[in-house]
Amino acid sequence: MRKAADEYTGRLRWPRLGQDVAIVAWPSFLVASVATMVCFGFIDPVLVGNDDYPPPAFQTRMAGYAVGFFFFWLIAALSSLMTLYLVRTAHPEPADEGTDDGTRSPE
Amino acid sequence: MNEAQAPVDGALYAARQKIYPRDIKGRFQRLRVYAVFALLGLYYVLPWIRWGERQAVLFDLPARKFHIFGLTLWPQDFYFLTWLLIIAALALFFFTALAGRLFCGYACPQTVWTETFVWIERWVEGSRTQQMKLAKAPLSGEKILRKGTKYFLWFAFALWTGFTFVGYFTPINELAGKVVTFSTGPWETFWVLFYGGATYVNAGFMREQVCKYMCPYARFQSAMFDQDTLIITYDEKRGEPRGARKKGSDPRAAGLGDCVDCTVCVQVCPTGIDIRKGLQYECIACAACIDACDEVMEKVGYPKGLIRYDTQSGLEGRAKHVLRPRTIIYGSLIALLIAGFAYSITHRNVVAVDVIRDRNALFRELPGGLIENVYSVKILNKDAASHEFSITADGLPGLQVDYGTDAVEVGPGDVQSVAVRLRVPRGELKGGSDILFTIRTQDERALEATGKARFLAPTN
Ligand code: SF4
Ligand code: SF4
Repeated sequence: MRKAADEYTGRLRWPRLGQDVAIVAWPSFLVASVATMVCFGFIDPVLVGNDDYPPPAFQTRMAGYAVGFFFFWLIAALSSLMTLYLVRTAHPEPADEGTDDGTRSPE
Repeated sequence: MNEAQAPVDGALYAARQKIYPRDIKGRFQRLRVYAVFALLGLYYVLPWIRWGERQAVLFDLPARKFHIFGLTLWPQDFYFLTWLLIIAALALFFFTALAGRLFCGYACPQTVWTETFVWIERWVEGSRTQQMKLAKAPLSGEKILRKGTKYFLWFAFALWTGFTFVGYFTPINELAGKVVTFSTGPWETFWVLFYGGATYVNAGFMREQVCKYMCPYARFQSAMFDQDTLIITYDEKRGEPRGARKKGSDPRAAGLGDCVDCTVCVQVCPTGIDIRKGLQYECIACAACIDACDEVMEKVGYPKGLIRYDTQSGLEGRAKHVLRPRTIIYGSLIALLIAGFAYSITHRNVVAVDVIRDRNALFRELPGGLIENVYSVKILNKDAASHEFSITADGLPGLQVDYGTDAVEVGPGDVQSVAVRLRVPRGELKGGSDILFTIRTQDERALEATGKARFLAPTN
């Protein structure tokens, strides 16, 4: 009986790649949504640019919002990706019985 | 918290096994069904409701105006939105402190849409066992038909969801017309597919993985828990030692607790965990295991509530406190914010003015010793009625205001730009001075707004 239960509880991880894509894409998506809202709450995309003409991507407001959103998403995703990279490539945390001065012994 | 378990994670690389939650009836599941119907009903119906000439709820991005029933919000009212978000966040804290992940179990879009997709799956493929059998079965006509139907229904439902989403941002009647004739604009098409696609993937395939790996709330909600937070728990004292038993035998005599180890609570769990191992961050508090266990308890003739909503204090037999500093502080903060919000939104100034100096000329010297500055005064009427405005200016002795007429009419929800000339006798005027413009309605409803600008004069 125990075994039947464990069959559905153990190992519910997805392959690392899928997980990594998700944890980079999703938080940056949330951040980009907020950034887009705040940014375009204050700035009208068709008024962006010098000498009274907006750059081509901002010709219409809808295009401006979309370009802004994907720009924020990209930037946030890059930041998430870098963080993830640093986390994934770090040495594992030293075990509890680490050296006395808190430094890590070479592995 | 659970770092101790980390080393077993050679499993990190193991592929995810699909979870087939078993169907279960019970009072909490009924509540969840009501919640799904209420929330999704609201979502799909709201954009079709009319308010006078227009859609009742329309976030008109191209025009930069948000319509919410009788209320129209402009970019200047942006902070109301921020305010609302803060209230929502506090409410989330409040309810989490009170009763754990109520939001996850009953209201999160992820749960609600997943639930609907699971229903469709069950409807097409049958019960949990039938689904698992079908998944293992070799490719056959029936398998293709069933799977195909499921994917098709999911797809149609997701598309409709995407369409509704865009319907909040462009008038949904027009959008429907365009969809029928295949003439939606590029961005509309894109967002329908984007939102529809996200629904399809999140509710059809990722499901509990969104909660487990992607959701920030799932990770930090436990920080808002305390000893008096209602959580879904297994009563270990009563249940252990678990084990199968003969019908009608006395469990105590056999040295057993009340858990008959039928694993039904595990089979119904949409996140595939075993609640008997204690509170885990994967648990979305859907209460399916409560209903499942209650049913089992009823069958074997034990009292219900082996798995139940309870607090840490309650489990340990101490008194429960709903009112405690945490909930009182959150509660009063929310009440304050809501009151403030209601006051300021009903008392917000519905007219506004924006004054811009003419950039082409600093000033003009007119015959008769007058200095003239030209401004563009933008009058914003956010009211639902049209108004006539007068413009006055203060800040310099002998100021003359000239804007061609006596009154400027601005329609409801409109902006009007007026060229205003200010003239001041040369006199002792030197350099620049600040001028305060005031616009005032001429009709029964007294409204006014002010805007500042500089008046420039020769420096000698
Ligand atoms: S864990 Fe996150 S995504 Fe899952 S139900 Fe809760 S809030 Fe929603
Ligand atoms: S443990 Fe129970 S309440 Fe938690 S997700 Fe599983 S079935 Fe739902």
